[in-house]
Amino acid sequence: MTRILRSIRFNIFLGALIAFFSAVGTILPQLGQEPEKANAFMQAHPLWTKFFSFFGLFDLYHSWWFLGILALMAVDIVLCKLWNKPPDVGVVSLPPELTNEEDLEKHLDKKEAALKLKPFQAFFTSKLGLNEASKAAQGHLKREGYAVKEEFFLPGTAGAFVGTRHRIQRWGSYFAHIGLVVILVGALIRSVFGFVEMVPVLEGGSRRMQRLFDPRSFSERVQQLFWGHPWTMKEPVDVYVDKFTIEYYPGTMDPKLFASDARVMSGDQLLGKKVIRVNHPLDVNGVRFYQASWGAGGMFRSVTLKLGKETLKLPQRVPVKIPGTPFTVEADMMLPNFTVTNGQADTASLDLKNPAVRLMFSVGPHQTSPLWLLKNYPDICFTEDAQGQLSHAPAPPFQLAAIDPILFSGIQVAYDPGFPIVVLGALMWLLGMIALFYMHRRRVWVLLESAGENSCRTSLGAWSSRGTREYEAEFRLLAKSLRSELKSEDNFQLTENPIVEVP
Amino acid sequence: MNYEVVFLKGALAFYTLATAAAFVYLYNKDDKWSSWMFRLVGAGLALHLASFGFGMHYFWKIPDNRYYFPINSFFGALSFLSLATVAVFFLIESRHQLGILGAFVLPWAVIGTGSAIIFANPAVEGLVPALQNYWINIHPVILMTSYAAFGNAFGVGVALLIQERQIKSRKPGELCYRLPSIEELDNLNYRIIVWAFPVLTVGIIMGGIWAYSAWGRFWGWDPKETWALITALVYAGYLHMRFVKGLRGKKAVYVSMLGFACVLFTFLGVNFLSPLHGYLSGGG
Repeated sequence: MTRILRSIRFNIFLGALIAFFSAVGTILPQLGQEPEKANAFMQAHPLWTKFFSFFGLFDLYHSWWFLGILALMAVDIVLCKLWNKPPDVGVVSLPPELTNEEDLEKHLDKKEAALKLKPFQAFFTSKLGLNEASKAAQGHLKREGYAVKEEFFLPGTAGAFVGTRHRIQRWGSYFAHIGLVVILVGALIRSVFGFVEMVPVLEGGSRRMQRLFDPRSFSERVQQLFWGHPWTMKEPVDVYVDKFTIEYYPGTMDPKLFASDARVMSGDQLLGKKVIRVNHPLDVNGVRFYQASWGAGGMFRSVTLKLGKETLKLPQRVPVKIPGTPFTVEADMMLPNFTVTNGQADTASLDLKNPAVRLMFSVGPHQTSPLWLLKNYPDICFTEDAQGQLSHAPAPPFQLAAIDPILFSGIQVAYDPGFPIVVLGALMWLLGMIALFYMHRRRVWVLLESAGENSCRTSLGAWSSRGTREYEAEFRLLAKSLRSELKSEDNFQLTENPIVEVP
Repeated sequence: MNYEVVFLKGALAFYTLATAAAFVYLYNKDDKWSSWMFRLVGAGLALHLASFGFGMHYFWKIPDNRYYFPINSFFGALSFLSLATVAVFFLIESRHQLGILGAFVLPWAVIGTGSAIIFANPAVEGLVPALQNYWINIHPVILMTSYAAFGNAFGVGVALLIQERQIKSRKPGELCYRLPSIEELDNLNYRIIVWAFPVLTVGIIMGGIWAYSAWGRFWGWDPKETWALITALVYAGYLHMRFVKGLRGKKAVYVSMLGFACVLFTFLGVNFLSPLHGYLSGGG
């Protein structure tokens, strides 16, 4: 069982599964992302809905089985990394380490055979003795940034060592995968301890959050924990919006800025105060208050009516006498984006694209049927009957000159204690990726065999995770500099498997 | 006169000529065609940069757009993506002198700039508040750079498939000798992807950090995010199959091409699934 779980093949399968179901979730409307669309789908296809709902397909990304696959993958990545060595293509190891010197001598030829299996090789004869040559070659590799490890040294006979550069690459894979798991852990922490709540607040008003939260800072919590106070101190929290500002790009209804002058209170205690706007939230000990949306709910301070040359200011639901006439007029309702649905007045959205106001006229106890006026279309007018059905009416002799709506500010409160962990994981992932893919490991094997007092046969073998072409050029330079370091005058051979001659 | 469009049309003309030169080079051994292609691409790139410069100039006439890149609209995004594709191609070409790659990569630049000119609206609009953030100069730029690299890898993949067919056929044509060996193409495909994959994932993560600063959530499973994740998963699959299973050649190329199909869907298709996070809605 663990064999399957820790196999990379199984992990690729899990990845494919996640990709597949993620794609399904983008095609089938999700309750979390597009609730209206999802509900419309459910009404249109009752039979399918039964089936899909059973598997939680309308909230796929939070269904137990999808989270289960994610968790399984996280566990599997850990298992994979614990059991499997990082892939190490291209390394041809030297024969097994030998313990005594006699064996070494016997196996010298084998070492050379092993060198000849390396992707790149070079051979030349040094004009230095074995001792000097070994020191010079090791020193040179160290200066080139290689970590040198001696394999063996037999005075007067032979010596061999390995130089490695960018060894960290091997750990890149571990680091990146652990980073991935840390990111998943951060997401898990958010889904367990975090919350999101939408709090719409009318300008000048306040609203109590449904969720209670502990407004103390982390250090306060730790201190109080040690002084024997209760672990959590959840309190009701109110969000106040003292002023809401909205600005549009000139000549359009596209908002360029919206901001709330907001206060967060717990009873009488002020927890935080800031003008919050999109991308600039208010932070109260980790709980963040975001400017998410805004809208007109139908409340207004006043509307201005234009009657010929005169203007009349009408507060909401306050009858006002029209001067010089027996009529009284009252504005009782406003719709921000007026539309007609099934013959009745309705709003298409909460932004002020097409505001309309309902007016009632009365003379003494007699009231006329309500009248809808549209601010942007002064020629259009509707009357409303007792059942709320609209019918066109001739353009009246008065127009809506201005509306001063009371807007609500949509404040999203979010608490995500997993975020720093996600960022940590992301950083590990990034560093791991850099090590794994951008830092290429190089290995150079050097075998020196004594051939007289001032002569030493030198064999080089090399491998790199870099592309063949790129490393070939680099190795050529290294071999040439090593040759001059070892005072060789050979017109040496530089070979690549299969052997290629190089001047 | 909108100089952004004028210069982009100029760039398109040069890209088209360069593509033509690249196709001639496929069948004509003369190296002058490939060096002409290289020069034409360079000229196109210069014009494209000028176009982007004018784009920024117009965009910044609205004070609230300063100093953000004009890549929130479909026009800006397409133009920038083609610019990045050509720039990556130019880099690969100047390092590897393959010559042959142009025929498989440059058509993307022609399609990208062409559809920006024909289908997209170059009108400049003010950024919605969610996009007024320095992340707009980082997150989409990084992601589109990775898309551009994946486009180049796709071109290499097509070349590999053609070479594979040539070698298997009884009479390999002129093309067979023009194209680099399968091993070399496979290696190049891999190296481009290995370069672009971390860029893609880092771009996605930066998007998450931006989303956290704008809405308080790192990840929200909107279709764009989800498809970017799917793309990353497919390329991760490709890398693992290569590392661990030693997958090479045709099969590996098919997997990487599936990845590029996901890139295209993330960039374009997603806009038709949902208004969120897209170019058609002005972002947000």
